[in-house]
Amino acid sequence: MSEAVFTKERHIRYFLRCLKTFLPELYTSNDSNRILLAFFTVAGLDLLGVLQSKTTPEERQGYIEWIYHCQVPSGGFRGFTGTDFGTERRTRENEAWDPANVPSTFFALVILLILGDDLSRVKRTECLRWLPKMQRSDGSFGEVLGLGDQVEGGGDLRFCCFAAGTRYLLRGKSAAGLDGVQDIDVEKLVAFIESCQAYDGGMAEGPYCEAHSGHTYCAIGALIFLDRLSNGSKRVSLVSPGSQRYESLIRWLVSRQTAELGEEDDEDSDDADGPAGDDDVQTLTKAVDRLNLDESIDQLSDLPPPTKESLQWAGFNGRCNKYADTCYSFWNTATLDMLGKLPMVDAAGNRQYLLEKTQHLIGGFGKGVGEPPDLLHSYFGLVSLAFQGEQGLDSVDPALCATHRTTQHLHSLPWWQETLTD
Amino acid sequence: MEGKYVSDPEWASIQPIPLNDGSETGAMPMATIAYSDDYIEATSYLRAVMAANEISERALKLTEDIIFMNPAHYTVWIYRAKIVFALNKDLLEELEWLNGVSLKYLKNYQIWHHRQVLMSSQDHFPTLPPKEMDFLMEMFAQDSKNYHVWTYRHWLVRHFKLWDSPREIADINSLLNSDVRNNSAWNHRYMLRFGPRSDEPDGGMTNSNGPPSEKGRLAVVDEDVVDEELQYAQVQIVKAPENRSPWSYARGVLRAGGRPLSEWTGFAQKFVLDKREQGQLVDVEVKSSHAVEWLADVYAQDGAAQESTAAEAVRMLNLLKEKYDPIRRNYWDYRIQMILGQEVLASA
Repeated sequence: MSEAVFTKERHIRYFLRCLKTFLPELYTSNDSNRILLAFFTVAGLDLLGVLQSKTTPEERQGYIEWIYHCQVPSGGFRGFTGTDFGTERRTRENEAWDPANVPSTFFALVILLILGDDLSRVKRTECLRWLPKMQRSDGSFGEVLGLGDQVEGGGDLRFCCFAAGTRYLLRGKSAAGLDGVQDIDVEKLVAFIESCQAYDGGMAEGPYCEAHSGHTYCAIGALIFLDRLSNGSKRVSLVSPGSQRYESLIRWLVSRQTAELGEEDDEDSDDADGPAGDDDVQTLTKAVDRLNLDESIDQLSDLPPPTKESLQWAGFNGRCNKYADTCYSFWNTATLDMLGKLPMVDAAGNRQYLLEKTQHLIGGFGKGVGEPPDLLHSYFGLVSLAFQGEQGLDSVDPALCATHRTTQHLHSLPWWQETLTD
Repeated sequence: MEGKYVSDPEWASIQPIPLNDGSETGAMPMATIAYSDDYIEATSYLRAVMAANEISERALKLTEDIIFMNPAHYTVWIYRAKIVFALNKDLLEELEWLNGVSLKYLKNYQIWHHRQVLMSSQDHFPTLPPKEMDFLMEMFAQDSKNYHVWTYRHWLVRHFKLWDSPREIADINSLLNSDVRNNSAWNHRYMLRFGPRSDEPDGGMTNSNGPPSEKGRLAVVDEDVVDEELQYAQVQIVKAPENRSPWSYARGVLRAGGRPLSEWTGFAQKFVLDKREQGQLVDVEVKSSHAVEWLADVYAQDGAAQESTAAEAVRMLNLLKEKYDPIRRNYWDYRIQMILGQEVLASA
């Protein structure tokens, strides 16, 4: 078997193209997520170690200005410039149509940090005053504040994670200089997160919904931001090794790794939603009822063990019985990394999957086998490889979803590390 | 530019607000998209009507135009809902319109949130409108695991208290009959059978206020439902023994009922047959790797007390690690180490 090759130069070209030229019209349906797309471009180049060499200081300053241009006067950041009808027209009555957006605020701040900005122009107090308004009575967070300060958007773990992340970024080590600024209800948020664990161990969008890797990442990410995983912190059972909840979470996460890739030549590939599995041939034509259950089990043939060949490419799915997808290589390995359990995955299989199945000829990664690259999958493909120590990639902070260099920059900011001495 | 709005007398009174991407004030716009002229024009009119807080038929039509080009636009949906309610539009017609959008854009959060906002109106929908579930089944015919649709259906069940509605379980049975691996359907089944019957806005999991060890357990257990669901899971497992969904489901059912995994030891053992010759173990016939895992868990729990049972647990875990599930060999190793670690502690 030949060694899979990480085509670093092509990825650099892909991300540079996305940063410096227009994205195709197809991205219009992602217009409202331009901050997120911007995050992928600079974070990708930073992870590839070329952000400083491939962009000029003037360009980087220009990008910083654009992010600040996305800051809304009342604190927080909009997801794109499309809602901005001008400060001069903005009133208490119409500002709900140009609101700050919870995930975009988090990513805007991380972009600023990646670009080396010191966040001095961030409306820190205003933003931190806005956050508690985004929290619902059940502890969860919404996406934007609507008319009459109504919390709008689904109440799910994505918003919980990025609200907790924004709080982490802006409060600093000990909330210095924030006297009188009301905090979010941390305990209620933690309780909501815990209530989203499904019966199989994974975390869902909300209580009793289906476990999903993206939401599982958000749940654990939020707990990291709330400092519930460090030594000596107040640990809830979800993240306490040995507890039923924790062990079922780990089991669920490792169970996401799969050699079912949904390739063209796979059986049932027209059935796009998940693998059929070999034992379908055993499906008994007659209804299996309780009387002949034992007999039916006797008639089942032995399970053929997987061959080495079949396990060569092992990506991750996001839900039980679904095909592998590049972004789930990130959501699952990042979550395991946050829990200190990354060594549990088959790193070689994941690497082979990403490099040989979804890495694209023109650079970047596609969602699935043979699919064209897009920014989200390209960045997440890189990050998953970075966790596994791929040569040519910097190391990544899994919760911040950016290089450790970015985290260090945050921690070096004077106001961030300031501690209350008295 | 000769756009459709600028040339339309209906829009003559509106001064469009062009996109300000900041380049005039020294910003270098990021993630720039090659917008179509139509999108550029429509969004400039949207900014203008939003700035004026305009509630009108033309604004409603404009939101539709934007939604078809960018269904993820997070404020246009809130704006549309505001207009629909303010103009007292026929919500059934709005749902009908939304059906078309949903079938066109299968993966989108906002569409389903909008539906929830409409359906939340007690004045318009004191009870479930008759065609609602039919439409959801139409969506499932496109993608039976669509996360947004399932999340919405979950909300519907709670909102209209449909846990025990015959239609719910009938639809789930039909979806599982056509694909027994549909984990979304299994999850919904669990919620129907064991979800809390309260109308708290977003009440947590069963007994979520209880001590950690009690969370997820029912305060009052209907043993018949537990038995019935365990039986159902067994029948489905026999159809496809490598299907993880019913095995996980059974774990959840037992936990909700406060019963131990060992209740299924006999069932799991039927899938893991030791072959002996003259009393010597020569081979193991395995019909499901999930049965091996189940037995490993049961033996590991009991093994804390008894050394021979611990050895059986390790044997099961090694079967998974070496033969049936080597993709997770490091995880199975972790489990083995946990058992061996316990032994060291016990003998110390």
